[in-house]
Amino acid sequence: MAPRAKESCKPVDPERPFVLVIAGAGGPRIAALNEAAEAAGLAVGEPLADARAKADVLQVRAVDAAADDAALRRLALWATRYTPTASPLCGDFWSEDNGADGVFLDVEGASHLFGGEESLIADLAARLRRFGLAARLAVADTPGAAWAASRFHRSPLLVLPSGREAAVLADMPIAALRLSSETRTALRRLGLKTVGALIDKPRAPFAARFAAELLRRLDQALGRVDEPLVPIVAPPVYHSLHYLMEPIVTAAAVVARASRLMQNLIHVLIRDDVGARSLRLCLYRVDGAVETIDIGLTAPTRSIAHVARLIELKLEALAAMEDAGFGFEAVGLAVIHAEPMPARQIELTPSHPSPASGGGSGWGHGDRAERCAALIDTLRQRLGPASVRRFAPVASHLPERAEILPLVDGEVSTWPASQQARPLLLLPRAEPAEVTALVPDGPPRRFSWRGTTYDVAGSQGPERIGAEWWRAPHLSAHSRESGKPALGPRLRGDERRENAFTRDYYLVEDLAGHRFWLYREGLYGRETAAARWFVQGLFA
Amino acid sequence: MMEPTALSNLLGAPSQARSRAAVMHELRRLLPAYEGSCREGLHKILPFDLAAVDSHLEGGLARGAFHEVVPEMQAALPAAFGFIAAFLARISSPFPLVFVLPVYTERRHGRLSGHGLNALGLDPTRLIVIETAHRKDTLWAIAEALRSTAPTAVAGMIDKLDLKTSQKLQLAAGDAGLPLLLLRPAPTLEASAAATRWRIGTAEAARDRFGLYARPRWHLHLERARNGRPGEWVVEYDHVAHRFSLAATLADPAFSRGASDGAAGQRVLQAGRS
Repeated sequence: MAPRAKESCKPVDPERPFVLVIAGAGGPRIAALNEAAEAAGLAVGEPLADARAKADVLQVRAVDAAADDAALRRLALWATRYTPTASPLCGDFWSEDNGADGVFLDVEGASHLFGGEESLIADLAARLRRFGLAARLAVADTPGAAWAASRFHRSPLLVLPSGREAAVLADMPIAALRLSSETRTALRRLGLKTVGALIDKPRAPFAARFAAELLRRLDQALGRVDEPLVPIVAPPVYHSLHYLMEPIVTAAAVVARASRLMQNLIHVLIRDDVGARSLRLCLYRVDGAVETIDIGLTAPTRSIAHVARLIELKLEALAAMEDAGFGFEAVGLAVIHAEPMPARQIELTPSHPSPASGGGSGWGHGDRAERCAALIDTLRQRLGPASVRRFAPVASHLPERAEILPLVDGEVSTWPASQQARPLLLLPRAEPAEVTALVPDGPPRRFSWRGTTYDVAGSQGPERIGAEWWRAPHLSAHSRESGKPALGPRLRGDERRENAFTRDYYLVEDLAGHRFWLYREGLYGRETAAARWFVQGLFA
Repeated sequence: MMEPTALSNLLGAPSQARSRAAVMHELRRLLPAYEGSCREGLHKILPFDLAAVDSHLEGGLARGAFHEVVPEMQAALPAAFGFIAAFLARISSPFPLVFVLPVYTERRHGRLSGHGLNALGLDPTRLIVIETAHRKDTLWAIAEALRSTAPTAVAGMIDKLDLKTSQKLQLAAGDAGLPLLLLRPAPTLEASAAATRWRIGTAEAARDRFGLYARPRWHLHLERARNGRPGEWVVEYDHVAHRFSLAATLADPAFSRGASDGAAGQRVLQAGRS
C-alpha cells in the first residue's frame, strides 16, 4: 500500500514518475515510488539526486510518517472484519528501505468463516484493489514467513503450506528475515546472501558474531520460537444513548436526561483518564428529525453539572424546544473529542470561601482554575465563541496593529515591557483633528476634535513611527480582515497613501488635564506639503 | 455575627464614658451584619495604602461589593477607566480579571488597548475581555462571572442601571466575595445600591524632571460610601510601584504653570482639610 503523500500546493499526476523521499545518509533517498517511476528505472533506496538524473520530470514529496502510521492503523482497524487480531507494522520498522507498510492478520480459527485461507486472501485482495491499494498477501504458519513470502515470493497471493517455510525461505535473500541494516551488511560481507545459507548451519558462531536479532528472526520465521502479535485496539467511543418510554418535550427534561447520559459516560472517562473537550447531544424527534447540540469546552471536563448547564444555555439560545413537535423519543450524548485529564488531588481547604448555598453553582469545592475554564465555557455558550477574548501582543510599531484580541484558547503570551507612553483607549479609527501649530513640524498648540476646541497646556513628542513599507497595502488589508478586526483605526480606502506616510505622535495635555494621543501624518516638506492631524487615542 | 443584645449593650452604656467617635466606629462595624449582606468576603478590604483615603473607607474598598465609577464629565471617561485599571492592577492574583465591555460603546469612547493597560501596570494577559452586544448580555455576563467566583475581580462598563438591578449586582458581588467595579460612561445622578460611588475628574499629570509625563493624576471624589465618609482628593498613580499617592502641591511643574495653578492647588488644599 502506497504511503500517503504529504499535502502540497501542486497536485500529483499519478501517470508521471512520483516518489516519496526520506532523509538518509548523504541526502534524501527514495522511500516509495509509483509505477511510472519504476518504469523509469528508479528503485527504493536510491538517492534522490540519481533519480532526478534518470527521470526527467520527477514529482517529489517528503514522506509523512505520521500520516502513514495513521493510514495503516485505519486499515488495520478495517481488517478486523476478518479477525479480531490485526497488528499494523508501525513506527519502529521504519528505515530507509523498509517502509512501515504491512498489517499482520492472525486468521487462525477465522479463515473457515470465509471459506478457507485461499478464498479469504482472494476476498481481501479484491477489497484492497477496490480501495486502490496494490497489496501483496501471503498466508503462512508464522508471521515471519508470511512477511517474507509477501515481499519476496513471485506470486502476489500465496498460501504457504504448513511445514514448507524452510524450503520457501531458503531461496530468498537475507532481507526476508526482517533484520537491521547493520546485520544485513555484515552478512553480505561474509558472503551470506540467502536465507538458505543460514538455515541448518551451526548456531554457535552466529550467536557469537551477531546480535541476538539474527537467530531470533530466523527462529521466528521457521516457527521455532513464538512471536506474539500486538493486536490493534479500536479507539474508545464515548457514546451513550437512551430510548425513552414516553417522549419528552420540556427543556428541563432534556437537561435531566443528558445529565444521566453524562453520568453513564463518566465511569469510562475516569477509567481512561480523559475528559471531554467537545460533546454532541443528539435529540431524536418522534417524527424522525434530529436536533444536534454541539458543546465546546475550554478545558477537559468530567463535571456533570457543568455539562448540564452548558446544555441548558444552548437550549435557551436555540429555542429548539419550541419545535419539539410530539417530543423527543431518544437522547444521545457523545464525546467527540477527549483529552487526557489526569486525576488530581482535591483541595482540602478551599482557597476561597465557597459561594452561599442558595446561589451555589456546584463548584464550591472545585479548583479555581477549573472554575475559570467553566466560566469561559458558559460565557461562550451564551454569547457566542467570538465574544470571549484575551489580549495578545503583535510585534508591530503601528499602534493599531500592535495587538490583537484572539479567542481564549488556554495559552497565554507574555506581554513585552515597553517604556513608550501608550493610550488606554484607542479610537476605532483615527479621527481627523483641526490643529494649530507654531511651526508646520512642531507640536500642536490648539486643536479641535469632535466639535470641541482644546488649548494645549503641554505636549510630549514627537515619537516618530514609520510606515511598514515591507507590508503590501492589499496584504495588510487582508490580514486585518482575517484576524481580529477592529482593534485599531481601520484605515480608509486610500490605504496605500496612508500606509506610506510617517507619523509623528504627540502626547498632548489640555488645560483641564485631558490627555490625547495625536499624530501628524507625513513629514512636512519631504512627504507632504500639508500634513494632516489625527486623534488616535485617549490617555487615562 | 453579633447578637442583637450586643447592640443594645453598646447603646445602653453611656455611663462608660465612651466617646461618641468610638460608638460611631462600633456602629459602623456592626452595620453590615444587620443589613444582611454580611458575607465572609465583605470583611476583606482592598486598601488604597493611602491613609487619607483609607481612613474615609474603614481601611479601603470592600472586596465583596459593587463599586460604581462615574466620570466627572464625558471627557473624563479615560481617567475613570484608568482609575479602575490602576486599582485592579494593585490586586495580585494568578486568576484572571474579567472585563465586560459592550461593543456599542467602542465607537464613541474608543477601545481598551493592551499596551495602554500595560502602561498603567496592569498586565493585559491577565484580562479576559467579554464583548457584549446589548445591556441584557452585559448584565448576564457580569452576574455569571460573579457567580462562578473564579476571577479575581469583575469590571465593566454599563450605560444604564436602575436601582433594582444595582441591588442585584451588589448582592451578587457580596455572595461571590469579589469586587465589582462598573464604569458608567455618562455622568449620572441616579440612585444605586453600590457600596461606593467614585466621581473621577482629570488633573494635570505629574512630570518627571525631564518634563516627560510620568504619572497620571486623577481627581477622586468619593461621592457616596456605605459605611464611610465622602471625600475628595487629587491622587497620582505610579504604575511601576502600583502605588497611589497624594499629588504633591509644590515643586512640580504641573502646578506652577499659571492658569491651572490656582484650581488644582485649591483642590489639594481642600483635600488636606477634609
